[in-house]
Amino acid sequence: MKKNALTLVVAAVLLVIFVLLLFTFQVRQSEVVVVSTFLKPTDTITNAGLYVKWPWPVQSINRFDQRVQTFADIPSETPTADSTMLFVNVFVGWKISDAREFLPKFRGGSTADAQRYLENMLRSAKAAVIGKHNFADFVNSDPAELKFDEIEKEIQASVEKELTRNNYGISIEFLGIKKLELPQSVTQSVFDRMKAERTKLISKAQFEGEAEATKIKSSAERQAADLLANAQADATRIEGEGKAEAAKTLPVFQQNPELAVFQLELEALKSSMNQKTTLFFDETKPPFDVFRKLSPSPVAPSSETK
Amino acid sequence: MSDHDHHDHSHAPETRDAGSQALSEALRSSFFVVKIAMAALVVIILGAGIFTVNPGEKAVILRFGRPVGEGQKMLLSSGKIYWSFPYPIDEVVRIPITEIQKVTSSVGWYLTTPEMELAGTAPPAGPSLDPAIDGYVITADRNIIHTRAIVSYHIDDPLTAIFDFASGTNHQFNLAGISNAVQNAANNALVATAARFNVDDILTRDLAGFQDAVGQRVNELVEQEHLGVVVDNCQVQSVAPRQLKDVFDQVTTARQNRDKVYSEALGEQNRILSQAGAAAQSITNAAESARVRYVSSVESDAEVFTNLLPRYESNPQLYVQLELARAMAEVLTNAGEKKVLPASSDGKSIELRLMLNNEPPQPNSGANK
Repeated sequence: MKKNALTLVVAAVLLVIFVLLLFTFQVRQSEVVVVSTFLKPTDTITNAGLYVKWPWPVQSINRFDQRVQTFADIPSETPTADSTMLFVNVFVGWKISDAREFLPKFRGGSTADAQRYLENMLRSAKAAVIGKHNFADFVNSDPAELKFDEIEKEIQASVEKELTRNNYGISIEFLGIKKLELPQSVTQSVFDRMKAERTKLISKAQFEGEAEATKIKSSAERQAADLLANAQADATRIEGEGKAEAAKTLPVFQQNPELAVFQLELEALKSSMNQKTTLFFDETKPPFDVFRKLSPSPVAPSSETK
Repeated sequence: MSDHDHHDHSHAPETRDAGSQALSEALRSSFFVVKIAMAALVVIILGAGIFTVNPGEKAVILRFGRPVGEGQKMLLSSGKIYWSFPYPIDEVVRIPITEIQKVTSSVGWYLTTPEMELAGTAPPAGPSLDPAIDGYVITADRNIIHTRAIVSYHIDDPLTAIFDFASGTNHQFNLAGISNAVQNAANNALVATAARFNVDDILTRDLAGFQDAVGQRVNELVEQEHLGVVVDNCQVQSVAPRQLKDVFDQVTTARQNRDKVYSEALGEQNRILSQAGAAAQSITNAAESARVRYVSSVESDAEVFTNLLPRYESNPQLYVQLELARAMAEVLTNAGEKKVLPASSDGKSIELRLMLNNEPPQPNSGANK
């Protein structure tokens, strides 16, 4: 009895597993599943979990990764509106937005096929958009003139329009320019121009240094002269202020101007004499006329006092 | 017949009993082994479901493909022991989050090898750049430079990173999809930012500004594309084309020389202005001192005058004579040389002639030869 029970349990487990395999399927978090009944898509499951289905050939399932997939197209040489040839390489983030529409459009729902279609669409959209813009729209130091972001948006809008028109079940999540380059032959001439510009910059730097230094020095000398002139003006003003202040004592001297002048002359006389001064005196004038008064004969011409 | 049957029947049960017993024993022992094996298998299967989460990573259990738990609760952290059903019921997805991820831009730099990078060398430069091999960017002033970015980031939203971005067509859960998206963001940021910066700004004048602008665009793209990562750092390296390295170096040298001359001129300017400032201050100080001295002197003269006035007024002539005599004595004492000129025989003063100018310089004798 026990043996039969064990056998039954094992058989039941195996049967359950077999039935589960036949009648159920999982949808992972990152997947979307299209259920087809007699090969005709009848249901789309986007939520993860365990689901029931009729076994093949009644129902079959197709799984798709519903996450964002990125790829970059092959760079292609495209002319701008002003006939500048550019190599533009674009990256795209896309995802399956409607798996039921996606499945029949591409062979077996192949994402590789879908990517190839996208690349073709992208090439056309790129050429159309780039052809509408001048090279200055791609590279420009003036933010108002630069249209880099607008160009990316235009390419994305063009691809999205095409996808919507054909109802491919694909959505573009993001798109951006990955490479922006020039044809190989053009790089040579760009290098020549850059070299010429650098040479000019070398001369300019040399000239600028000397010119700027001269300007700075002359400016400094002018400022220094201004400073000194202002200082002299201040000094004159201060001197005037001193005289004005001193003039307040004028009434004192006005009591006897003769005495005042006499006193000033004496002070001037005293302060003008120093050790290096040589004085010549006439012996006929005081106080040296004293000598003449002492002796009846005149003093010898060569006499001198030290 | 009956005897025979009886005889046969008397032996057959014994034989069957022995055989049945042996078979029963064998089956019993076999079933016992099977039971043990099944029990062991169950234990192994259950035990295999035990797992831990490493530090620096999060884990999610997918049960029949659906994450177990809601919101952030579905993220399992380190420090605990977890259990999951065996595959295909459960699937444990591990996501490194705190580990800093690094991605280097794949455009903008010339073709090189890791060995050359380590040695600090570059491949020989041809006369031009092949877009299929050599990467570069075009600047706003239509020059060509090489530039590359290294973006360091960490996973901020593990569920987005794993469940929203594919790494290919194999349905695997890993971070390759996010890494690819961040790399594309870095590539785009380099090309788009270089397109609005001039070459000299990128290479010399505004290195930090260019790097910041690239980092800012990477951040913007990461947010716009909802990548679920946080950019920690974006380092940018830019160089002039190898074909023009010499001439770019010469410009740098010329500019350094210009800056040196400019700096020296500024130093000279400071010196001149400092000296002038000091001289100006000295002039005003001297004037101020002179003013104070002058006023003080006049005031003291006035005081002296006031004191002398009564004496003068009492006998002006005598006062003048006395003061003159005193002054003469003082002058004669201080003067270095005093010469008294005698009167001529007719009693008149003799005429004295003084040569006030210096003698003219003598011609150099050597120059005449």
